[in-house]
Amino acid sequence: MKTDELQLKRAEISTLLSLLNLTALPVIGFVALLFIYKKTEANTIDRYYVMLGITTNLIAAIALVLVTGLMILLGGFDSPWTWVYVISYFVFVHAMFILFATWTMVRSWTGKKLTKSFLSK
Amino acid sequence: MKYESQGIAKLYFIAAIALFVGQILFGVTMGLQYVMGDFLFPEIPFNVARMVHTNLLIVWLLFGFMGSAYFLVPEEAERELYSPMLAKVMFWVFLTAGVLTILGYLLVPYARLAEITMNDLLPTMGREFLEQPTITKIGIVIVALAFIFNIGMTILSGRKTVINVVLLTGLVGLAVFFLFSFYNPDNLVLDKYFWWFVVHLWVEGVWELIMASLLAYVLIKVTGVDREVIEKWLYIIIAMALISGLVGTGHHFFWIGTPDYWQWLGSIFSALEPIPFFMMTLFAFNVVNKRRRDHPNKAAVLWALGTAVMAFLGAGVWGFLHTLAPVNFYTHGTQITAAHGHMAFYGAYVMVVLTMISYSMPLMRGQKAANVNAQKHEIRSFWIMTISMVFITLLLTGAGIMQVYLQRYAADPLPFMVVQDRLAHFYWAREVAGITFLYGLFLYIYSFFAKGEEVADVE
Ligand code: HEM
Ligand code: HEM
Ligand SMILES: [Fe+2]
Repeated sequence: MKTDELQLKRAEISTLLSLLNLTALPVIGFVALLFIYKKTEANTIDRYYVMLGITTNLIAAIALVLVTGLMILLGGFDSPWTWVYVISYFVFVHAMFILFATWTMVRSWTGKKLTKSFLSK
Repeated sequence: MKYESQGIAKLYFIAAIALFVGQILFGVTMGLQYVMGDFLFPEIPFNVARMVHTNLLIVWLLFGFMGSAYFLVPEEAERELYSPMLAKVMFWVFLTAGVLTILGYLLVPYARLAEITMNDLLPTMGREFLEQPTITKIGIVIVALAFIFNIGMTILSGRKTVINVVLLTGLVGLAVFFLFSFYNPDNLVLDKYFWWFVVHLWVEGVWELIMASLLAYVLIKVTGVDREVIEKWLYIIIAMALISGLVGTGHHFFWIGTPDYWQWLGSIFSALEPIPFFMMTLFAFNVVNKRRRDHPNKAAVLWALGTAVMAFLGAGVWGFLHTLAPVNFYTHGTQITAAHGHMAFYGAYVMVVLTMISYSMPLMRGQKAANVNAQKHEIRSFWIMTISMVFITLLLTGAGIMQVYLQRYAADPLPFMVVQDRLAHFYWAREVAGITFLYGLFLYIYSFFAKGEEVADVE
């Protein structure tokens, strides 16, 4: 695997964009990730992290936007229970995605991929 | 353990853990009173249990901070403690004052306690978290001054590192802001200002410095990462904590008779308060990823990471949830506040003290790390307590949302007690989570006595 400076830089930018898409810059961050994807090649560290960012955010979009949307549709706008579930669920799951993206960002700074056991090198 | 006087921390930590058990026992008692109103009445009324629960929390955290400082400072300053004797004497003074105060709450009606302790001369009692009789408060100040003198002299005549200077600054801040508790104006609005100058400026100001320095210390020790890297992080975290936290006090001045501009100031500055907590997470993740060695004390590494994550969730995420004025307008003083209060206190301050204990206790007992079996139990207790706390938080959040809806949002709002009745299911589930937490705490204590195979040294 080639890991020149430019690729490492792109990997770092990708993980930052992934985190930003989950927080301050939704959609914009994702579009930027797609642009970076176009510049990467198969089997490189930047491709790995840009793909990770894209999948993370797609799953997050489903888990956060789609699932909460369905919860509201099925539960009804006027039922307090809808909001009990929607708000608790959204806050907690959103925070989990942010923590995961933060971990991947820190990981990309080391130039290595994620590992199964998060305490191994 | 490099210096003999570091061993004094052990006393402080044992007392801290014992009082922690007391705190949780009163927590589960109150949890039951929430659903069985006359449980233990009139022996232990809810308001008394609440006072004991929160005061024990503060007192054992102070024991934890002092113990941590006594362990950390000699090593960082590279000399023995200025006066080990003073540290021992103050331990017993503080423990006696603390225990007597709690007994006072439990055995004498509060009004009578105020009379006996001559509250009239300088009235400071009767405010949440600051219920201590005035003489106890004076005792706390004396202990704090002696303590700061002791570690201050050690640091000033020893090596000054960013870590011990930040810790000292945080501890001095803790003592200074406590002085506001002696000012108790008749005007309720003014009173609340000064009350928050203690409570808020502690947990969202100077205590963050204490937390950051303790976390940085343990992380250096267990990862072997360069001090210079860690110091840069510390500077930024502290700057962010103070920039956001000081004016952030305004998030408590929205609806208490204060000028309207607090709604803007409080919302904007406190919206920045999650940043230092997020940075601590980033910092811990980063340092652990860049570690130079695998320390045999795995439990301590887990506690350190756990602190960073849970503090971000409890203070950062659950704090942000209700900190903007338009949201707080609905959520002020509901179960949402209690949800946040629990997870933030646990995630930040309880866990950072347990991190220090986890790292230092084996060293004080002449080991590099606890034995394999003991660590296994400690790690299990970490998960049980932490997951129980996540459940307590989620359940109180659910209860809080329902409460806001029925009591403040619905077209025909219901009265407070009617709503409370409807939340009984949440409260029963919270009680189950609370008892599980207590079980985790017992397992934690057991881990100190568990025998097993010594850890392999993998420096
Ligand atoms: C380390 C763990 C714990 C910490 C740090 C903690 C902290 C606190 C704090 C800060 C408050 C005051 C909340 C506020 O002013 O909004 C409080 C109140 C309370 N806590 Fe805990 N607590 C812990 C464990 C528990 C447990 C296990 C239970 C058991 C179910 C419990 C039950 C309660 C209750 C019922 C109140 C009173 C809430 C009210 O006034 O309505 N706590 N606790
Ligand atoms: C570790 C740090 C923190 C701890 C231990 C903590 C603890 C608490 C506690 C115990 C209360 C209830 C006080 C009472 O009324 O009795 C409270 C209230 C509050 N906290 Fe925090 N907190 C922390 C950080 C934060 C942060 C970072 C934010 C904002 C981002 C925040 C926002 C709030 C707000 C808005 C209230 C008032 C709730 C209301 O109106 O009822 N807190 N906090
Ligand atoms: Fe605050």
